[in-house]
Formats: sequence, C-alpha cells, structure tokens
Amino acid sequence: VTKRGDTIGIVGAGSFGTALGSVLARAGRRVVMWSRDPAVVDAITTKRSCPRLPEAPLPAPLEATADPRKLAAEARFLVLAVSSKDVRDRARELGNFVDGSHIVVHAVGALALPTNDRVSEVLQQGLPTLKVGVLAGPALPADLAQGVFSSIVVASTFEEVVREARRLLNVPPALRVYGSKDLAGVELASALAGAYTVALGLCDGLAMGPGPRAVLITRAVAEASRPGPGRGCRGAHVRRAGRARQLAGARERALDRLPARQAIRRRRGHRRRRANRGRARRPRRGRAREAAARAHARAGRGCRGARRARRSARGRAARRRQRRGCRVNGRRASGAGRRAS
Amino acid sequence: MAIERPVREAENRLERFNADRERLLGEMERRVVARKIAEAKGGGDASLEYVLNDVAYCELKRLEHKKNGATDRWRDLSRRLLTMSEEEKQGELRSLVRHYGKDVVGNFDPRVYKFATGVGPSLMGLLFSPMSSLRDGMAALKSLESRIAADGECEIARACAERGTIVVCPTHSSNMDSPAIGFGLMRAGLPPTTYGAGKNLFTNPFISFFMRNLGAYRVDRRLKFELYKDVLKEYSTVLLEHGYHSLFFPGGTRCRSNVVEKHLKLGLLGTTVTAYKNLVREGMPQKRLYIVPATINYRLVLEAETLIDDYLAETGKSRYIITDDEFSRIGRILEFFRKILVHEGSVVVRFGRPLDPFGNDITDDGESIDRAGRVVDPATFVRGADGEVTDDDQRDAEYTRALGRRLAQVYPKLTVFHATHLVSRALYDELARRTGTRDIYHLLRLAPAASSIPVADAIEGVVKLRARLAGTPAWGAEHPLLQPQAASAIVDDAVRGLGTYHTRPVVVRQSDQLRVEDIKLLYYYQNRTAHIPVEGSA
Repeated sequence: VTKRGDTIGIVGAGSFGTALGSVLARAGRRVVMWSRDPAVVDAITTKRSCPRLPEAPLPAPLEATADPRKLAAEARFLVLAVSSKDVRDRARELGNFVDGSHIVVHAVGALALPTNDRVSEVLQQGLPTLKVGVLAGPALPADLAQGVFSSIVVASTFEEVVREARRLLNVPPALRVYGSKDLAGVELASALAGAYTVALGLCDGLAMGPGPRAVLITRAVAEASRPGPGRGCRGAHVRRAGRARQLAGARERALDRLPARQAIRRRRGHRRRRANRGRARRPRRGRAREAAARAHARAGRGCRGARRARRSARGRAARRRQRRGCRVNGRRASGAGRRAS
Repeated sequence: MAIERPVREAENRLERFNADRERLLGEMERRVVARKIAEAKGGGDASLEYVLNDVAYCELKRLEHKKNGATDRWRDLSRRLLTMSEEEKQGELRSLVRHYGKDVVGNFDPRVYKFATGVGPSLMGLLFSPMSSLRDGMAALKSLESRIAADGECEIARACAERGTIVVCPTHSSNMDSPAIGFGLMRAGLPPTTYGAGKNLFTNPFISFFMRNLGAYRVDRRLKFELYKDVLKEYSTVLLEHGYHSLFFPGGTRCRSNVVEKHLKLGLLGTTVTAYKNLVREGMPQKRLYIVPATINYRLVLEAETLIDDYLAETGKSRYIITDDEFSRIGRILEFFRKILVHEGSVVVRFGRPLDPFGNDITDDGESIDRAGRVVDPATFVRGADGEVTDDDQRDAEYTRALGRRLAQVYPKLTVFHATHLVSRALYDELARRTGTRDIYHLLRLAPAASSIPVADAIEGVVKLRARLAGTPAWGAEHPLLQPQAASAIVDDAVRGLGTYHTRPVVVRQSDQLRVEDIKLLYYYQNRTAHIPVEGSA
C-alpha cells in the first residue's frame, strides 16, 4: 500500500495535469487526479485515457476521482494544474478539505485575474496551508506524454516543499526537477515568459528575422527584471527566465536544422532570390571580387558557403598583396572588401 | 477606561515562577546540552570543541580590554580544549549552559508587583507632580494611571490569557516601553508577562529594580556566540510551554525613525512555534499559544533626539547599541514624567485581535481560522503526512516570518495618532510642498525663513489628514480624546507639547506663524504617519 506521503494528488485533468500524471504513473508513482467532470473521471477509470490529452497513457497507479475529500485524504502533496481564471474557485473548494500539513504546488504560468496577484498569494488566501510552491519550466504536455526529456523547476520559501516536490516528481530521464527558494521570482518569470513567448510568436509569424527577435528578447529580459524587487523576487530567476528564453531561441535554431524547417527555409530563400532576380548588383573590384565570384560559383546557390568562400578569398588576396610587399592595412583591406561586397 | 474583569489564573502563573525557577532552568539545561551533544556526533563545526572554542573566543574578544583577570577563565578553557576528554567537554558545556542560564533567568517578587501595580502609580503621581497634587487633593494621586490608557481588543485577549498562553508583541520605540506596556497590561486587565529585556536597560537602578523583580529576564546582546542564543531560545521556549505569558518586541530594537514597524527581526518570536510543536508532541495540542499584537503610542518620546540622530547618522541601520542615552539619566526620566505625562492619555497602548503562532486569525472562542474564515487545527501545521510531529527548523522559521508579516500588517491599523503626530505630518507636508521635496537631508539645510508656516495652513493640513484618517481605518485612528476637538485646538495642543519637552523646541508659535525649529524631530514625529501616502500620490 502506497503511503499518503508518497501519493501525488493532481487538481485538474487538463492537458498539463494529465501529462504530469501520465509521466509519474509510468514511473510507478501513485497518482490521484481530481476532476470536477464525471465524464473525464469515468474515461480515465475505464478507458485509461483522458479526453483532454488522449495520446497520454495513464497506467494503473493513476486513479481519478470527482471527490476532493478523497484527494486530500489520500495525498498530502498536491499539484494544482488549472487555468489561471479557475485558481480562486478551485482553491476555495479544495480549502474545505486540506489542512495545515498539506503541500500545494501550482503549475499555473500566469498571474491570477482580476487582481494580477501571484497564484501562490491566492492559494495562501484560499487554503489553510502556508506550504505552497510553484512548478514552472518548459515542460510541454505533448513532450511529457511522449516521455521526451523535460525539466521543471519547483520553487517555494519552504525547503520542505522543494524537497518533497523533488522526491515525488523527479522521474528521470522523462522529467527532471530542479529546486529554488525564489517563489516570487519563479512565478513572475513563468508568467512573464508566457507573455513574451506570445510576442516572440508574433515576431516569428511576421518573419521579422533574428535581429528584431534578439532585440525583443533583450528588452523582454530587461523589462521582466523590473517588477521583481517590488514583488518580493530575489532577482535571479527573472534573469534566468531571460536566459531560458535565449535557450529557447537556441532550441529554435536547433529545430531549424530539422529537414522540415530546412525545406521551409529553402522555399523562402527561393522566393527571395526570385524577387531579387534582375536587380542591379553593385560591382565588385579587384582580385578579391574575382575570387569571390569563383567561390560563389563553386559553392553553388547556398548563401552561407558563398559567404565563407568570399571571406577566405578576400583573405587570400590580402595575403598575396602582403607577400608582394605592398603597403597593406589589413583592417582597411578587409573593410574595403566588405564595402565592395 | 480600566476594565474591571479580574484575571484569575493568569496572575497566579507568575506568582509561582520563583518556585518553578530551578525546574525551568534544569529543563532548559537538559535540552540544550542533549541537543548539543547529539549535534556534536555529526562532527565538523558542531563538535563540542568548536562550540566551546566559540564561547571562549567571543568572551575573550568581549573582555580583552578588562583587567583583574576577567579573561583568565576563557584563556584557561581555550588552552585546555585540545587535551579535554569527551566527558570533560560535556561537563564544561553543562556548566556553561548553567552559567548563562542563571545570567538570563529572572525573578518575580509578588510584593514588588503589588507595590508596582498598587501603591506605585499613586506614589509616582505624587512624586512627579508634587505641589499640584497636594492642592488638587487625592484625585491627583492617581494621575499616572490616567496617563497610560489601554484599549482595543482587550476582552478577547483576556479570554485567550485564560484559555492558553499569550505572547504580547508590541511595537518598540522607547526604553519606556517596558513600564508602559506593564501598566498597559494592567489597565487592560491582562496578566503580567515575563519578557526579555536588553542588559543595557539594567543600567538605570530605579527601573532595573522593578524589571529584575517583575519577571524580566536579561538578554545580553554583547554575547554573540551560538550557545548563548540557544540558551536564550530554549529558556523562552520552556517558559511558554509551562504557560508563562510572555512579551517580545518583534522589532528587536527601538525603532530609530519612529515609523510603524514593517521589517521585524522576530528574534525570540520563533520560540512560539517551537513551544507549540513541543506541546503537540507531548499530546497537549489544546494548550494554545496566542500572539497579541499591540502598539505603544506616545505623545512625546523620551529618547526622540538620540534615536533620530542615530537614524539619520546610520540611515536606519542600528549597528551599535546606544548606552548613554536619555534613559540612563535619572534627571531626564523625571523630566519625562513631569512634562510628558502631565497630559491625560499621554501613552495609549492599543491591543489587537490575537493570532495563532502561524499568523492565523482566531475566533472569539480561541479557535484558529484560515484566511478564508474556516476553522483549522493549528496542530496540523507541525505534523507530517501521517500525523506525526516533524522537526524542521526552516519550516518553523518560515512560519515565524509569516507571523511577522501578519503583525506588520496589523500594526498600522492599531496605531493611535496623538496631536503631535498629526500636526508634525501636516507641517512636514506643507514644508515638502513648498520646497518640492520630502527628502529630510534636503530639508535639514532649509533656511530659517523658509521653515515658517502660517497657522491657518497647518490647521487646514490637520483637517484634511483627519478626514483621510476617518475614511481609512487601516491606517490607524486619532487619539480618542482628540475626536471631539477642533483642528485649531489640536494644533495648539501639539505646539505646546512639541515646544516644551525637548532640549530645543520643535515648533514655536509666533503670532500667526508656526516656525519649525528642529526639523529632525518634526520628521521623527511625522514618521509615525509614514504609512499614510502623501495626498494626491497613487
């Protein structure tokens, strides 16, 4: 029989709650999931599948209930995975059954409406327990459901919360949990990162390119770090969130190397080149130009290879001039080359 | 204003203190020694030679300038340390714990208490207003009693004192706080409490005599080593477990700037969670502990000049302890009683609704309720998954911080504004409006001509401030005796108070102008209203 202290209660059978329950149950953890919708409870119990995330397998250690009393009685560690607009109601409802010994961490990556309070503040107002925390990070439900490696951070001012969350939720290699004491910082970073992700999505959708994207990320980090001190953050997590966004950028770049993305890029490049066809080009001068032209011809139609070839051709031309004893200013020479290109 | 309801059990608790003292000391000693020995088994910095060396090192540092062999004992200990056996170390630890325990432990003399609460106020009233007392007859003998008023949630606090153990947590702005809260408790019909008083307070022989015999225990802030802190915390914990009502100043030290305290050091307040946890473990969760917030509101503050100087010099960081302030001068204290306490209700102690050790509110029956108003069992806060009581120092510290946040939330609501505070704020606002800055360092350099304000402007400022206060009870309230008064009378009263006690008058009236003579003290008194936003700001 699994002890109450080793059982994880999940409040809400949405996509994240289901994915988390799935990954934990597959690792052999006992999970009790509370949903207010009897149809969802029935589907989980009978079909071992949740309608909100059908692709997530829900093996036996996971059970569903529509009774919050059962959830609170069987699990001391609870994960609140509901939408930000439901937080208050669900906390109030749950508060009738939990006591001061319960640990409640939420996975709401937003501020609670309409007051824009942090969700942990709302929980402390609505629940009898003071031991609350936050789960945040780039763990996507689809990744969790498929068992793709994911990572999250748990933050709380109570070390016990972090300790218990890491003990119960850490199921490597599918899910690795890191700890932090900066509850306010992680909550704020999580909420703001969500907002900035939307902005980044717009940026990408408008095909604005890496420059504006970099500016947006830089300014987002600067902006996100401002409200922190006034709202009790320790500061590091907003910066870390910024770094996380940069990492997300790196992830995007990595995705760019995937065949599907490359095909998209090729199509875009083809369209651009077709649009530029027939336009006048600035003349290139000297041997560097000729070498560049040859290199370009050698490199075919790939831009990156051509650029590299041009650069090396320019270097070769400069070195030749130097060998002949000409007055050479490397910087000027390369500058001239850049202007010429 | 005095409440006639008698205190039954509560009074008896401190009366049995002297008989209990050895038992309390023994319990404290046993626990501290057992814990230290258990920790020492882990080795490293917790091993006994490090613990003892820490004591010897800190004592040598403290006593290095003293003569007559004051350091001999510690030099000897430090020399012997490496050759001592484990049993010898444990014996040395035990004797040190006993030594510091005896230094800390207080005394309660029922005769002194009877004197202090019965004859004392009348006698002091006679002493401090000698000629008028004779003229005004016996009514004046009770004058001191009428000077210190107590109000607020006294009924429920008294019920809590009878039901369980109370821990009174007042704001701290003066060394007069100890006697003031003592009288305040008496006036509210609450039991006397034991409390930790800084050893520097014992420099005044008059006050020291009373404190020594009314249950105060001494806290020597010069002793920085861990062992002393452990002794202090454990002694406080044992007192609470044995049902002795206590008093802590959660601010830690006197508030230099006179603002209503927001950042609390908490200190011994953490022992309430530990004591309750121990009670739950021993199967007595029904023996509740209640935290009673209180504010002590002075019309004028004895050490205002020193405190504000210290604040401005150190920009609020209290890095050193003032030992030669007004409190150590008998003459200044007499002056304080003569000039400050001539006003009725010069000191108001306002008690708030009690909280439990986890910062939860309580019902009238003493049951804890959460923020949503549901009754909760406080014992569950220290229990683990299967109902067992768990030890977690970080968790307990976090609970204490949560309690501190609740106290800091409650204090503004319990603040009582005297005429001196209201008028100081009105004048400071007016000066700030004229100069375009609220920066005290800028205002300190103000030309004398610029520091005169028409009386009419001050009255208008007071009227506006009173209206805002009336509309926002969360900021506090004006003194009950001010309520029927007109703003002009409040201004006159404040000018009289601010102009008489301090070595230099704070404000002087010149026909229809009020001239600010001491901007530092004006700033000090207006700081009591600092949590009230400036009018027109967001």
